[in-house]
Amino acid sequence: MSKEPVAVVGIGQTKHVAARRDVSIAGLVREAAGRALQDAELTWADVDAVVIGKAPDFFEGVMMPELYLADALGAVGKPMLRVHTAGSVGGSTALVAAGLVAARVHGTVLTLAFEKQSESNAMWGLSLPIPFQQPLLAGAGGFFAPHVRAYMRRSGAPDTVGSLVAYKDRRNALKNPYAHLHEHDITLEKVQASPMLWDPIRYSETCPSSDGACAMVLTDRAGAARAPRPPAWMLGGAMRSEPTLFAGKDFVSPQAGKDCAADVYRQAGIADPRRDIDAVEMYVPFSWYEPMWLENLGFAEAGEGWKLTESGVTELYGDLPVNMSGGVLSANPIGASGMIRFAEAALQVRGQAGEHQVDGARKVLGHAYGGGSQFFSMWLVGSQPPES
Amino acid sequence: MPEVLKAPLVVEFPFTRSLGPVQSAFLTGLRERVVLGVKTTDGRTLVPPVEYDPVTAEEIRDLVEVAPTGTVTTWAWNHEPRRGQPLAGPFAWVLVRLDGADTALLHALDVPGPDAVHTGMRVRIRWAEERTGAITDIACFEPYDGEPDQPGGHTGEFENPLTGIVAPARLDYTYSPGRAQSDYINALSAQRTVGERCPSCRKVYVPPRGACPTCGVATWEQVEVGPRGTVTTYCIVNIKAAHTANLDIEVPYVYAHIALDGADLALHARIGGIPYDEVRMGLRVEPVWTQGARHPDHYRPTGEPDADYDTYKELL
Repeated sequence: MSKEPVAVVGIGQTKHVAARRDVSIAGLVREAAGRALQDAELTWADVDAVVIGKAPDFFEGVMMPELYLADALGAVGKPMLRVHTAGSVGGSTALVAAGLVAARVHGTVLTLAFEKQSESNAMWGLSLPIPFQQPLLAGAGGFFAPHVRAYMRRSGAPDTVGSLVAYKDRRNALKNPYAHLHEHDITLEKVQASPMLWDPIRYSETCPSSDGACAMVLTDRAGAARAPRPPAWMLGGAMRSEPTLFAGKDFVSPQAGKDCAADVYRQAGIADPRRDIDAVEMYVPFSWYEPMWLENLGFAEAGEGWKLTESGVTELYGDLPVNMSGGVLSANPIGASGMIRFAEAALQVRGQAGEHQVDGARKVLGHAYGGGSQFFSMWLVGSQPPES
Repeated sequence: MPEVLKAPLVVEFPFTRSLGPVQSAFLTGLRERVVLGVKTTDGRTLVPPVEYDPVTAEEIRDLVEVAPTGTVTTWAWNHEPRRGQPLAGPFAWVLVRLDGADTALLHALDVPGPDAVHTGMRVRIRWAEERTGAITDIACFEPYDGEPDQPGGHTGEFENPLTGIVAPARLDYTYSPGRAQSDYINALSAQRTVGERCPSCRKVYVPPRGACPTCGVATWEQVEVGPRGTVTTYCIVNIKAAHTANLDIEVPYVYAHIALDGADLALHARIGGIPYDEVRMGLRVEPVWTQGARHPDHYRPTGEPDADYDTYKELL
């Protein structure tokens, strides 16, 4: 028996900001979930199960927050489960929820991811002072910057490419009311003049720290038929993992990322992603990851991704728009960031992306990664249901 | 068999919490010696209050005051209180349904021994002398044989309501790096770097993990690597990390990936003995040890010609 097609019929997110001091974690997730239900014109009673994700518990220091969020998410008397895959968790959470619909376990599933970084300490949560180990900690930027340098060496990309990505994403964010950063006076010169934090990564080429949540309502064919607005249809979805460090690991273009994309394309019948996919919302926490992922995801040959960025192909009005929402560079509630990518892809094919809508977006890829470039989750959504 | 290392690891952090409207009223109430519950859609009163109805999922905001007296619904004796618990001496953990509430609140009951507690016993709140808007504003419960107190009619509106709290967390572990890492660390104290070779893929892991992450098989063959190595890639750190362990490292400094000669993946270390802006991929380096340290303090240039890119590109 074939899988049940999965449709996205409701999307909700919070306005991502540095600190939401007015709400508890329950209040934050509730806001996004309520908006997703409102978009789908459904009530709590219409939801059969809840699948939630966030970054590690150490971030906010609430162990298993899903336990106390059951009532805020209307999960009482229903299955509720939690997904953990570091920064990619928002994407994996949506895929676990989609799997429940595809397998006909549930008809309608609410999926949600969040982070309240203002109540969190990611630096502390990720780098405990382990006995016998040398303390040599440079934060997430220090972890990823050497890989960016390796990419620059391997591809021969000019060192301005990172600033072009940041300038583009921050301008896209101005069109997205939910983005955290709205830098109205942004210029390329300002990005290029911003301080070098972890050379070759500049301050303006890094993501902010945000509070936010994102929710989606996923449903089956029957649910989609009742939906008040056009659904987004899942055409393919996959997750892949690999160890953080191993001999032969390619940090510039991890094998798990390539395999994950290939699986999605196979499911969706995508022969040439550059030609067949209209836009991409990918997880770019440091600007140089745009050209790196363009190669990893098969939109460009190895060493060629930066040329798409440099020639304007990835601009909002380019031939392959990337990070129409402003991306992780413009809002990063860590646990939610992957789901925001997935939700943006769905918004685009539903024609609901507002000012940052890409004209004629029919097939859009949503991408997330996490840990030490070791967890990948992706989905391709379309404006038309999959051919069965 | 050589000794496996062990050491205490204490993880401690003062987390902040935004309370939202309901928890704000509840904790501000405790500061003012008022206990608030919340009315559910079906008319029950939940203490402590929650923001969303556990049955209907509706937002609930109807706060009502309950009495500081109540009934023990169940209990457990705590023989040996731990750090941070409400009372220093042995006490009973109790669930107390306060008069006017439909659910019970967890707290401590101050009684001399387990014989002095029973389900159904009447108790009342002993307020803390100094109250800040925290569950510890209730110092504990104590036995009470008077009439039920009448709750006031407070609705949860307060002057200067509390909007956030600090919730310190502390975890005590005993950490052991295991057999393979213990061997590695012990060899380092003799200024030798010893990895392990996978019997299947033949790759040499430094530091060793006792198993190959790719092949999933145990590793045991020890291989000394280095001391010299090649900088495969690096970044220049220009900001002080907000981490106490890093406070004595001056910026800018170079954080590098170094493939020690004979190792199949790079380890991470600081580069010194050369201006930070002269460090490059392919630079040949060697460790610099300081007296009594467990790890090389940093790596410095050996003066050899740079390694050819093709010799280390697979290690990037």
